[in-house]
Amino acid sequence: MVIYYVNRITVLSNRIDNAWSQIDVQLKKRADLVPNLVNTVKGYMEHEKDAIRMVTKARERMLGASDMKERMKAEGELSTALKTIFALAENYPALRASENFRLLQEQLDGIESKIAYARQFYNDSVLTFNNTISTIPGSWLAGLIGKGMPREYFAIAEEERRPVEVKF
Amino acid sequence: MERVSFFDQMAKNKRNSILLAFFIFLTLTALVYVVSLILVPELSLLFLVIAGVVVAVYAYGSYNYGDRVVLGATNARPVDEREQIYLVNAVEGLSIAAGIPKPKVYVIDSNEMNAFATGKDPEHASVAVTTALLRNLDRSELEGVIGHEISHIRNYDIRFATLVSVLVGLVAIISDMLLRSWRYGIRGEEREEREGLGFLVLIGFLLAVFAPLVVRFVQAAISREHEFLADASSVQLTRYPEGLASALEKIMKVNRGEMRVSEAVSHMFFVDPNRSPLDELFATHPPIEERIRILRSM
Repeated sequence: MVIYYVNRITVLSNRIDNAWSQIDVQLKKRADLVPNLVNTVKGYMEHEKDAIRMVTKARERMLGASDMKERMKAEGELSTALKTIFALAENYPALRASENFRLLQEQLDGIESKIAYARQFYNDSVLTFNNTISTIPGSWLAGLIGKGMPREYFAIAEEERRPVEVKF
Repeated sequence: MERVSFFDQMAKNKRNSILLAFFIFLTLTALVYVVSLILVPELSLLFLVIAGVVVAVYAYGSYNYGDRVVLGATNARPVDEREQIYLVNAVEGLSIAAGIPKPKVYVIDSNEMNAFATGKDPEHASVAVTTALLRNLDRSELEGVIGHEISHIRNYDIRFATLVSVLVGLVAIISDMLLRSWRYGIRGEEREEREGLGFLVLIGFLLAVFAPLVVRFVQAAISREHEFLADASSVQLTRYPEGLASALEKIMKVNRGEMRVSEAVSHMFFVDPNRSPLDELFATHPPIEERIRILRSM
C-alpha cells in the first residue's frame, strides 16, 4: 500500500516533467519557424515593421528566458504577436496567395493548437498530482520523499485571452 | 474523479487482457482435445500438445502483429502528411493532450465514414480513418472522432479488442471443425460404440453451436461499454462535446452500413461498419442516437 502510493506520487510527478518537456518541444518548433515567417512576410508587409519587430523580439525573449515563469510570459507574447501578423496579412492579397505563407500559417496554427493541448495535459497532470498529495494517504507520504509541494498550473496570460486588436 | 476512472479502466483492461489470453488458450486447447478424442483417441495426447503449441503461437502472433492484419484487411494505406496535414495535426495534438506517443496514421478509401485504432499498447498503435470521414467532417468534428480513437489507445482498449478478435476468429474456426468432425464421427460406426464417446460428442456439438454465440455476445457487451467510455474520454481531451455529437449526426446520415469487414474486427470501429438484423442482440456499438443524446447532455 505504502509502496503503491510512493510509486504513484513519483509517476505523477514525472508525468508533469514530461508534460512540460512536451510544451517545450512545441515552443522550440515554433521558435524555429518564426525567422522563416519573418523573411516571407518582410517583402510584402512594408508598412508593418512594428508588428514584425514585435514577433522577433518576443521570440528572442522566449529563447533567452531562464526560468519557466519568464518563458511562459514570453510564450504568450509571441502568440499574440503572431496572431497580429496573421490578422494584418488579411490586407495583403499577394502575401495570402503565396504558397510559402500558406504552408507556414498552417504549420504555426497546428503548433498553436498542440501547445494548447500540451498545456491542457500539463494542467491535468498537475491537478492529479496535487489531488494525490493533498489527500490521505498521499499527504502523509509525499513529504517523506521530498515531493510535498503542490505544483504550479500553467496559467494563460491575461493579454492572450483578449482578441487581437488590429489598427488600420 | 474522471481521472481516477480512466486509471481504473486502464488497469481493468490490462488485467482482463491477461485473463482473456489465458481463457483463449485453455478453452481452445480443451476444444481441440475433445475433437481429437472423438476422431483419434489413440493420439489425443499428441494432439493436445500440438494444439497447445499452435494456439500459443497463433495468439502470440496476433497479439504482436494483429494490427498489421487488421490494417491490411481494411486496405489501409499510410497517410500522405502533406496532403492530410489537418488529420496529422489533429492526431498529433490529441495524443499530446492524452500524454501518449503519436500513433501511426492510416487512410482507408471508402464511401462510408468510419475510423478505428489498433495495436498492442500506446507505443505500438495505429489510427485509421476513411476518406469519406475526412471529406465530410470539419476540424472540431474530426478532432472529436480522433479523440475517441486516441482514448481507445490510452485506455488499452486496443489490446483487449485485438485479443477479442483473435478469440472470435479462432472460435469460429474450431466450431466449424467440431461440426465437421461430428458429421464424420457418425459415419465411423465402430467409434460410436466406444464408451463415453456419445457424451463427448454431445458436449462437442453443444460447444460448436453455442461457443460462437456466447463469444459474440461477450464481444458485443464489452465493446458497447468501451464505446461510451471512449466518447466521454474524447470530450475530456477536446473539451467540446458538440464536435463529436455533430460528427455522429453526419455519420448517421451518410453511412449505409455497407463497409465489408469481418465480424471478428467490427467491434474495433468508431461506428458499426455492418448493420444486420441481429443488431439488437449482438450490436458491438450502442445506437448512434443514444451516443449523441449522452454527448449533448454533458
